[in-house]
Amino acid sequence: MTTAIATHELTKRYGEARGVEALDLEVPAGEVFGFLGPNGAGKSTTIRTLLDFQHPTSGTAEVLGMDSVAQSVEIRERVGYLPGDVHLFDHMTGQAHLDWFERARGSHDPTLVASLVERFEISLDRRVEDLSKGNRQKVGLLLAFAHRPELLILDEPTSGLDPLVQAEFDQLLREAVAEGRTVLLSSHSLDEVQRVADRVAIIRDGRLVVTNTVEQLRADAPRIMSVRLSARTDPARFRVVDGVVAATGREDWIDLRLDGDLRPALRLALEIGLDDLTARHADLDELFLGYYQDDEAR
Amino acid sequence: MATAPIAALDLRLRRKSLIGYSVGMAGYMLVIVALYPAFKNSSNLDKLTQSSEGVAALFGISGSITSPTGWISANAYANFFPLIVLLLTIGYGVAAFAGQERDGHLELILSLPYARARVAGEKIGVLVLQAVILSAVVLATLLPGPAFDLHLPLGHLTTATLGIVLLGVDFGLLAMALAASTGNRGSSLGITSAVAAASYLVATLAPLVHWAKPARYASLFYWSASNSQLEHGLGWAGLAILAGTGAILATITIRSFNHHDLRG
Repeated sequence: MTTAIATHELTKRYGEARGVEALDLEVPAGEVFGFLGPNGAGKSTTIRTLLDFQHPTSGTAEVLGMDSVAQSVEIRERVGYLPGDVHLFDHMTGQAHLDWFERARGSHDPTLVASLVERFEISLDRRVEDLSKGNRQKVGLLLAFAHRPELLILDEPTSGLDPLVQAEFDQLLREAVAEGRTVLLSSHSLDEVQRVADRVAIIRDGRLVVTNTVEQLRADAPRIMSVRLSARTDPARFRVVDGVVAATGREDWIDLRLDGDLRPALRLALEIGLDDLTARHADLDELFLGYYQDDEAR
Repeated sequence: MATAPIAALDLRLRRKSLIGYSVGMAGYMLVIVALYPAFKNSSNLDKLTQSSEGVAALFGISGSITSPTGWISANAYANFFPLIVLLLTIGYGVAAFAGQERDGHLELILSLPYARARVAGEKIGVLVLQAVILSAVVLATLLPGPAFDLHLPLGHLTTATLGIVLLGVDFGLLAMALAASTGNRGSSLGITSAVAAASYLVATLAPLVHWAKPARYASLFYWSASNSQLEHGLGWAGLAILAGTGAILATITIRSFNHHDLRG
């Protein structure tokens, strides 16, 4: 497995404020890699450091085998970047942006450009100030893909795109990966990522909390067991039981999140008096929310 | 790749304001030139400025206001012309870094495969070019002067114009250096404008105020516009100080931009 992006103890602080802390991230080449986290978790900070918009406080990052600071120009030659809220020049048309990017880069792939314009119905002849947010985002998408880069770094790329365009965008990412290219897809939305990503990393408060394949995350997902007891019971009684990671009350039911043997929790429920029970694996949404929440909130 | 894509982009973005400044300044200068025959024999005007050192100093006038050099100096080269060049260059200096960073455009530019030093270098080139174009327009409007009895020494006029170009570039570079290191539009504009105003006041008040006399040597206005440059030329010392200041500020701008963290 070759690596497209590798960070080693990458840290970025803004004075006393945290950006990211000791981040060890590895993005394999030839995959869509989902980079998930709530707003403010450190996703954009990581991306901006990879592209040398910001310099690391400590640690290093390698992109396509090159140092993110010393070889940033060479890296940006081979990377396409799309920010979530792309800031184009209001008085220029999409075509003027495309022409300027082509001159600055040296060349674009004319066949790919023509195909993207047609597929996404991109308005190139109107000034950016007259375009909707979604249509501006489509121009940004075109600029990121036009030189057929080896690595695509996409920061919340589908914000403002309608569902039909999002489906076409997912297809575009699959095609890019089929051609051997790599996509780092940053998002706060699990839904967006799980549609296309092979592997995901979840970041919270500037630290990586998990990296795994989507398949393995599903397999390792904890179980959710809901019990209806014959006597009113404080859910806190279950929180001290082995295997229980969370317990919350809901009307007559207590929802238990189990990350191990379920028998101790079941025994306690039977002791109290069990009227009804359901059990299932947590879906990815719940898993994802679990990673997002602070320990105190569980 | 294109020769200077960032410069080409910034020139495109600035062309309307550059054309506006140039047309406005050309119109103003042509009026000043055309009005000269009406004032060249006005002894009352000369008496007014000669009798009041304060009035003369405030307008940057030295010598006779009705002489060709005195007329152009009092109406443009010692005050209005440098002020307009400064508005253009300081405005661009701030917009090129802090303005584009605030608007998110700098992120778009830096996503392209260009080193920061190259980006800063091209922006400095655009700054110089704008000052040169505006000043060349002003110089060109003075060429028909002899048809209006306005005979100016061409050599001194050219070097004095060069002095204004360098003055504008220096203050534009100060704005750039501040904007490239802080990314803060307001403070970059405010500090540069305050330094420019102080520099102008020190240079113009020097003939009147005792303490300002030694301080004038620290004023870039003194070396470029407020010391009878139209009459005597820019001089090597002025050229060296203005060019040297520009070189130092350009180096600081590039180094600051290299170390600057772009805000999200």
